Formats: sequence, structure tokens, C-alpha cells
Amino acid sequence: MKRRTFLTAAGAAMVGMQFPIRLASAQEKVIRFAMPQDFTRVYTFVTVEYSQGQRDYISMVNAKGGVNGYQILADVTDHANDLPRALEAYERAKAQGALLVDPLSTPVARALVPRATADKINLITAFSGRSDAADGETFPFVFPMSPNYWTQAGLLIDFFRQQDGDLKGKKICFVHIDTPFGKEPIPVLEALAAKQGFTVQAFPYTPPGNDQSAIWPQVRRAKPDWVVFWGAGVGQTVALTEAIRNGIPMNRVSSSVWLSESDMDVVGRAQAAGVIKLEPCASGRSPKLIQDIIKTVIEPGKGAGDKAKVGTAYYNYGVMMAALMVEGVRKAFEKAPNGPIDGPWLNAGLTSISNFEAEGLIPPTTVTTTDHQGGGRCRIARWDGAKFAPATDWFSANQDVVWAEIKKSTDAFKASGK
Amino acid sequence: MDSALLLELSINGACTGMMYALVAAGIVLIYKTSGVANLAQGALAMTGAYVAWIASTLVGLPMWIGAPLAALVMFGVGALIERLAMRRMIGQPLIMAIMLTMGLEIMLRGVMPGLLGGTVKKIDIGIPNAPIIAGDILINRTLLIGGGVSFAMIVASILFFNSRLGVVMRAVSDDQTASWSVGIRVERAIAVAWGLSAVMATTAGLLWGATQGVDWSLSLLLVKALAIAILGGLDSLPGVLIAGVAVGVIESLATGIIDPVIGGGSREVVASAIILATLLVRPHGLLGREHIERV
Repeated sequence: MKRRTFLTAAGAAMVGMQFPIRLASAQEKVIRFAMPQDFTRVYTFVTVEYSQGQRDYISMVNAKGGVNGYQILADVTDHANDLPRALEAYERAKAQGALLVDPLSTPVARALVPRATADKINLITAFSGRSDAADGETFPFVFPMSPNYWTQAGLLIDFFRQQDGDLKGKKICFVHIDTPFGKEPIPVLEALAAKQGFTVQAFPYTPPGNDQSAIWPQVRRAKPDWVVFWGAGVGQTVALTEAIRNGIPMNRVSSSVWLSESDMDVVGRAQAAGVIKLEPCASGRSPKLIQDIIKTVIEPGKGAGDKAKVGTAYYNYGVMMAALMVEGVRKAFEKAPNGPIDGPWLNAGLTSISNFEAEGLIPPTTVTTTDHQGGGRCRIARWDGAKFAPATDWFSANQDVVWAEIKKSTDAFKASGK
Repeated sequence: MDSALLLELSINGACTGMMYALVAAGIVLIYKTSGVANLAQGALAMTGAYVAWIASTLVGLPMWIGAPLAALVMFGVGALIERLAMRRMIGQPLIMAIMLTMGLEIMLRGVMPGLLGGTVKKIDIGIPNAPIIAGDILINRTLLIGGGVSFAMIVASILFFNSRLGVVMRAVSDDQTASWSVGIRVERAIAVAWGLSAVMATTAGLLWGATQGVDWSLSLLLVKALAIAILGGLDSLPGVLIAGVAVGVIESLATGIIDPVIGGGSREVVASAIILATLLVRPHGLLGREHIERV
């Protein structure tokens, strides 16, 4: 009898406890960002730091009163790069009223495009997903808001041209993971090769790239003027290590945005000195926004992760994307202060972002209804043995070739639906 | 085709193959004593490398202490796997024991990066990146030393089978029931085999970890190791030596000769083609024992 009484009382208490919580939720002014990301499988090399940066930035915004009195709720879950889990997380986010979803995974982003478009939920696909999503007219609810892989390839080629004066007769070796992501820059490289008179030699390696010992002797013997290596995670560290072992000069070796301080630790900080990468935002702790996060969030002990990771490349990528999302909310309030606060409302805000620099963290970024890439600006950074030091100012290049590729791809999408 | 390139690819391929063979030798060791193909050998290599990373980076021990300590810990882990999991499979269908090792593989692959973080970890065993240059040929120093260490360990394990404990393990591998009947502690012999196999996996994990860094992808060593173990013969350690060199050289040359023609991807096909061809043409492998049953 006592047990039954106890269970009944406990059950009643549990039911009763729901009401104040629900009432409180209804009264709170909250804008929900869903961030189901891959913390446990393929994207583990970036997700922890990226998510930490996003959460710390959002904590700072909330600590300063939020946006128009609204708090930003970062709903972080693990989809493990698994499509059924990711779709479930997306549906949950939709049911809970999320205005955007940021899955940080190419296969997940590609799978979510039709749903997000139909549901009018903004899908953030920074450094992942479809490169042709830069075309806002074809993909109105998909937002890369960062230079896609075609733009990144175009920027690297332009940097080589700046260094050598002219690329005519030069040879560029492109060492890449043998996946759609790894092959993606090839059309742009070939188009630029035809235009500028250099040759491209591609060397694919088997995923995930943990054994590239038979690839790099061939690269060395090709006597390249420049080398671009294109992968992620372990493929990047192995590529760089093999380049060093094959005596390829580091100041002629370059990569995409997927190179970080932790990769340099694995390769050897001193040995990797000179290697080039693309920076979509400033790295390190000196940018004002990162300093603000340190004062407002990290020093009071409210950070989302390891203090040592604050200011790393991938942490700052997370801050960059969170800053762009929150700027979209600000712009949305400017355009429609009374809402209704939903996906299309935020969409109008995101497409109104104009020359936003996140206090010097990112290049001037303008997102429009036609250009969801944000202008395609980056800068080149060189590893100096301790940090990635900027080698150029923010710049954009070869966008004519990039947009021709985007249009070709969106035409194919419109024709096939894929 | 540039003959110097082919020679360079062959030398580096032979060294790589020998490093894969060390993982395969662990599979053979367990198969010889218990008749079970251990599908967790790649995950054990990954776990051993993580343990060495914990000892050297988190605890701060020098690698010359951290590496043997990791091997010791992993010997215990291997023996515990036998004691707590594999021994319960006695009397069950063989497939259950193999599925158990597969479950172990999946669990370790998830648990280790989950606990220690997914980013690639650096492990430094003191091998410099500078290559050895011989004329027009460049030999990868890490692979050369890794291949040498692997060769030495496999040869040592062959010699071990001539020691007293080795003879006991040979007896167990020949006939477990007969071994029991003459008083041999069969379970202990199998536990030792699991422990030694985990030590081999740890050494392989350290060598590969020094080459590529430590992360979940070390567990993928299993695929190449299986190809080598099947080609060499699942119960033959000398077979592993020959098959290791063969698989390494063929893979490396395929990358240099076939990839430029077909646009890449031949390396992975080589391993699977070797497994298929061996099973179809010579199921017991190059030096494995052919089991003939009276029907």
C-alpha cells in the first residue's frame, strides 16, 4: 500500500512539474537554433571546436541581453553523420520551432535540402553541403555563408598567380581524397588551367587517407610548382607529413580551410612551417570578438568547452557562423520587429546581411537573395611554426569561373531534382 | 614507366606491408590457438595507440616508458577479453565468437575516440621525418624502421613457438581436447595468445600512430591485416611475412601504375581482390595447413 501511495504521489508530482516549466517556456522570448552535428564519427576533427565557438558566441549575446530582448537557444545534439538520426533531429527541431538548422555535414546537408526548402527552415551549410547552394535563387533556404570549395580553389590559384606573376607553363599537383568532396574543385581547377595556361595533375587517395605512402613519391617526381592537398581529418595530417618526408618545400604546399593548429601538432609545428591554408576568418585570440567572448563567457567560467581551444581556427569558424546567424536575427528584427518569428522571417534577415565584419573577425560579408555565399572572400594564411599568420588581405578571385560552375550545377539540379 | 619510381614504390610498399603484417600476425596467433578469427584486431591496435598516447601525453611519461607500459596494459586487456568474454563462448557456435569480436571492434571504435576526443592525436616515437636518399630513390625512414620492427616482432613470435610455452600453444592449436587430457591448461594458453596478440596490435598501433597520428581510423588496419592473414594462411606466421610483403608491394605498385590510368581507387580493390582470389583458388592460403576431413 505504501509503495502504491509513493508511486502515485511521485507520478502526480512529475505531471504537476510539467506545468510551471511549460508556462515558463511559453513566456520566455526565445529564438531556437538547431545544431545537430557529428560529434562521434566522421566530422569529429572539427565539430567539438566549431560547436564550442558557436555556443560561446551565443552565450555572449545572451549575457548581453540577447537580440531585441530575445534569448538565442542553441539546441546541440549529435547526429553522428547518420542520415536517419539527422532526419529525426531535423523533424524534432521543426516541431520545436527552430528557425535554422546547422548540421555541419555534407551528406546530412544534402539530404535536408528538399525538406528545409519545403518547410521554409533555413539550412546553414558552412564549409559543407552543396557548393551550388551559393545560388540563392535556386536554393532560397540554404545558406553556406562561407566560400564554397570552388571559390577556395579559385582563391588558391589566384594566390599562386600573385606569387609567381604568371602561371603559364606551371604544374600544379592536386592531391585529394577520392570522394565527391575531394573531387569537387577539379572542374574549377581545369577551367582555370585552360584559361591561364598551367597544367593540373590529380592524385586521388583512398579514404580516409591514413596511408598515402605510394602517392607522394609520384607527386615529388612530378616536380610540381605548387601542391594543393584536399581532404579532412587524418587525411590532412598524413598528406602534410608525407609532403615533408618527400622533401617538398612547405612554402609551395597549400590546402583548403580544413587545416588547423591540432593538425600542426600532429605533423610537428616546426616542420610544417610555411604551409599555406585558406582562412575564412581570422584565427587566434586577438580579434575583438574573441576578446569579448573571453571576458564575458570564458573568464566567468561559462565556456562551453576546453579553454585551450578558444581562438583556434575551427573555434573561430564556429564563432564566425554564429555571428552571421545572430546578425541575420538582428536584420530580421530591423525589417519586421513584430514578426511573425519563423523561418521566412529569419530568411529575410539573413539575406539582408550587408558588409558585416563581426568586428574584424571575418571579411566584409554581404548575403543577398541571389548570393548565399556571402561574396566569396577569404585570405591566405601561412603557418609560421606557432600560428597561422595572414599572408594576404581579404580578397575574392575567379568568381566568374566559380559562378559558371554554380550555374552549370544548378541547371542540372533544376533538370534532375538532385 | 620510370623504373626508379617502381623500385621506390616497391621498397616503401614492402615496408608498409610488413607493418600491416604485424596486425595480421596477431590475428594468426589467436586463430592458431583458439580457431577464432579476431575481427577486433584493428580496434586493439587503435586502443593500444590511445593507451600509449595517454601514458606519454596525458600522464607525461617519456615514450620509452609509455610504449612498454601500453604494451603491458594491453597484454592485460587481451587476457581479460579472453577471460571475461571469449571463454563464455566455449560450447557456442563458432560464429558467435567471431560476432563477439566484431562487437568488440565496434565498441572500442566508438568508446576510445568518444572518451578522448575525435581529433587526431600526435604520438612521437622518435623517428625523424627526414627520408633516406639513395641515388634517385627516396626511402621513407618511418616506414623502413616500422617495417624493420614489425619484421623483428613477427620473427620473434615464430621463434616463440619453439619455447616451452610456445610448444604448449602449438599443442593447444593442434588438438584442444588432447591437450586437456594431458593436463595442459588450454584456457591459460589461449589467454596468453590474446595477450600477445594485443601486444602485437599495440606495437602496430604505435608504428602506424607515428606515421598517421592516432584516431579511430587506426581500426581500419583490420582490412589489410585480414587480406594478409588470409593470403598467408590463417594459421601460418611465416605465411604472414610473405603475404605482408606481397600485399604491400602489389598495393603500392597498383597505385603507381593503375591509378593514373583509371583515375584512382585501385589500392582498396587490391586488398579485397586478394581476399577473394585466395579464398577461391587456395582457401588455406600460401603456407596455411589444409584441413581435410573424412566424410
